[in-house]
Amino acid sequence: MHSLTQAPFLSLAGISKRYGGVRALANVDFACQRGSIHAVLGENGAGKSTLIKIISGVVQPDEGTITLDGHAVTFPNPQAANAAGIVCIFQELSLMPDLSVADNIGITSPPRRFGLIDRRAQRRRAEELLARVGCEDINPLMRVRQLPLSRRQMVEIAKALGRNPKLLVLDEATSALTAADVDKVYAILHGLRDAGLSLLYISHRMHEIDALADTCSVFRNGQHIDTFAKGARTEEQIVQMMIGREWRNVYPPKPVRNERPAPALELRDIGWEDRLSGISLTVGRGEIVGLGGLDGQGQRELLLALFGVLRGVSGEIRINGERRRISSPAEAKHEAVGMALIPEDRKTEGLMLPMSVRDNISIAALGSMTHGIVVDRARESARIEEIAAKLKIKFGNIGDAVATLSGGNQQKVVIAKWLLTGARIVLLNDPTRGIDVGTKQEIYQLLRDLADSGTAILFYSTDYDELIGCCDRVLILYDGRIVRELEGADITEANIVASSLNLSLDAAKAPHA
Amino acid sequence: MLKSIDRPTLIASSFIVIILLAGTVYTVITQGNATFIEPAYLLQQLKIAAFLGIVAAGMMMVILLGHIDLSVAWTIAASAMLATAVGGAWAIPVGLGVGLAVGLVNGIGVAFLRVPAMIFTLGVNAVLRGLMVMLTGGFAPQADATKFMIWLATGRPLGIANSVLVWAVISAALVFMLTRTPFGRYIYAVGNREAATYLSGINTRLVLIGSFVICSMCAALAGLLIAGYSSKAFQAMGDAYLLPAIAAVVVGGTNILGGQGRYSGTIVGTILIVLLQSVLSVAQMPEAGRQVIYGLVIIVMLLVYGRGSVVRA
Repeated sequence: MHSLTQAPFLSLAGISKRYGGVRALANVDFACQRGSIHAVLGENGAGKSTLIKIISGVVQPDEGTITLDGHAVTFPNPQAANAAGIVCIFQELSLMPDLSVADNIGITSPPRRFGLIDRRAQRRRAEELLARVGCEDINPLMRVRQLPLSRRQMVEIAKALGRNPKLLVLDEATSALTAADVDKVYAILHGLRDAGLSLLYISHRMHEIDALADTCSVFRNGQHIDTFAKGARTEEQIVQMMIGREWRNVYPPKPVRNERPAPALELRDIGWEDRLSGISLTVGRGEIVGLGGLDGQGQRELLLALFGVLRGVSGEIRINGERRRISSPAEAKHEAVGMALIPEDRKTEGLMLPMSVRDNISIAALGSMTHGIVVDRARESARIEEIAAKLKIKFGNIGDAVATLSGGNQQKVVIAKWLLTGARIVLLNDPTRGIDVGTKQEIYQLLRDLADSGTAILFYSTDYDELIGCCDRVLILYDGRIVRELEGADITEANIVASSLNLSLDAAKAPHA
Repeated sequence: MLKSIDRPTLIASSFIVIILLAGTVYTVITQGNATFIEPAYLLQQLKIAAFLGIVAAGMMMVILLGHIDLSVAWTIAASAMLATAVGGAWAIPVGLGVGLAVGLVNGIGVAFLRVPAMIFTLGVNAVLRGLMVMLTGGFAPQADATKFMIWLATGRPLGIANSVLVWAVISAALVFMLTRTPFGRYIYAVGNREAATYLSGINTRLVLIGSFVICSMCAALAGLLIAGYSSKAFQAMGDAYLLPAIAAVVVGGTNILGGQGRYSGTIVGTILIVLLQSVLSVAQMPEAGRQVIYGLVIIVMLLVYGRGSVVRA
């Protein structure tokens, strides 16, 4: 149908790009065809983002040529790439939260009448585009701020379609979608492909690539390793190409327990506004307990309530059997509680991006590294070095801004920050979102090691595989309540999916029976 | 070692040299002397700079947080007026007490009530002005500064004016705080990303309140010194310090959006502003022209900095 010999729509030849001393891309040749979904795979820092930025005119290559539809082109800025029909949907959402959905969709070229924005036409257009992505339920006059993350991502896709792309680039564009939306997006992308568009698709989720891509290219360390048709390589081979080392079992083995460990964290009847009600659970020492369910069923709120961020939380929290009131993160961090939260969005909630790796790692534990009122710099450096080595955080210089690190390493910095406080209860809010497989694997191992040393872990993930692979028990939330607890061999994808939809487990088993 | 001096400090320092050289060329041609590079002149300028320097030092703490304090103008005046009105041994504690009170109000307004600092401190400034007019009936206060206040501002037992020494002590204390204590680190952290700092289990409200208190107390102290220098408090005595203080901090390389900046920059920025004002007035530039040049210099310097490091946020 689309052989590799056909003249490509876009091709890059000999593209190189350096940022200071870091080589982001080295002599890369790359081509993508019309009517094809082309997946680009690679760990964070492999050069995928730089590739996308060059294609979309955000940065200019140091060397090499770009050919579009048979003509040599240069894109001095994103507008030039846009004009040539290259449209990007980036990992970081580019919507303006206080503008309406319709305003956002029409932001680049709003329909005009007498030189003024024609709001009615703009609204109609937004409605059409939203209908095209199967989101008729989104009111175009609503502010983007009021939409949950997964809906915003759909708006982002609608906005991109509104610019009539010839080449659509999706950079981790599905990482925040719910399972139901993912299917819709797949259908849309397949439709676009059949209409002759080129699609470049970047994702860390292997099964998405399986379901979606026609062609795959693997990048590693700024180099193009291989391009092949879907199905030509096994999953193991692909992963090995990406990480350049032997691929072992992703998830560390779970310990076998005969009895429940002593509870470190107990919740009784936790409620908050109309988002959480009657939540009771325990997390034992050394246990990894997963929170599952559809996105937005109160999992995030539960973690924030525990960490003292939300006001007006009812119910009882017991730490090691003693009742505690936690009304701020400072109290949650305090020795008597010893809690840590790895937040959802590392860029805005986890890190001070312009500050150094060192300052970010030590900020939470700084109070415990003082001599009188002075920070004990020697002790600070020693502990930072120790934890950075333990987590294998890769950085040029400890004084570099944490913004210069790859996503996976940034997340490791967030985790390192909390490990330094000596937390005994660790709450994680979807910690592997947008992180490469290699780092994910390291994080899974780290969580298990922490648990083995007696830490209690409460782990929310939107990725069912993770819940199945990592957790000793999984609690499924639905509409702010725990609807099911799964343990041991019962933690299966079928059971999680059924429970997430608040079906009985028999319903899930029925088709297999 | 070059890395330990940051770019804005270097640029501002070079600019100071340029101002002095240009001024000297002018005076040599028109008056046949080189006033601007005589030690006596420079020491005199340092003495004047101390007042602005102390206000700017406090202002920097608040700007590092990404906030601003527009109430320093009447904090200066209120501190000076109440201190001279009370007089005696209580003059200094009363003046500093005014600073503490204003700082607490500002800090609580920003940290708890979450009113944007620009609006809240502007309101506080207006309230202070109203209170002072009520107190004095709008006339110049009659009470004189105490002997100690005068000595603190103009005495020179160590060969250098005490006001300069006070500025040096405050500067040393703030540098120590910013670079060596957790509180200093938290100020930068809040300025970079308050949410991340809060979620790191840090009491960000305390950081906000503490910084506003430092700012207002610096302004109050400056008020006491200025009253000592002119041996009286007077209406609107702080108005001439608000914008120059902000300019000194920003010209010194502190990011107006918070999170970045070195204290050394604020010192250099203060000296730059004071010399610029002085050279322009000695050159008998008409007031209107002075304002134009003064404003242009600040804008140009900020443009120069903006070319440098762009940090993704």
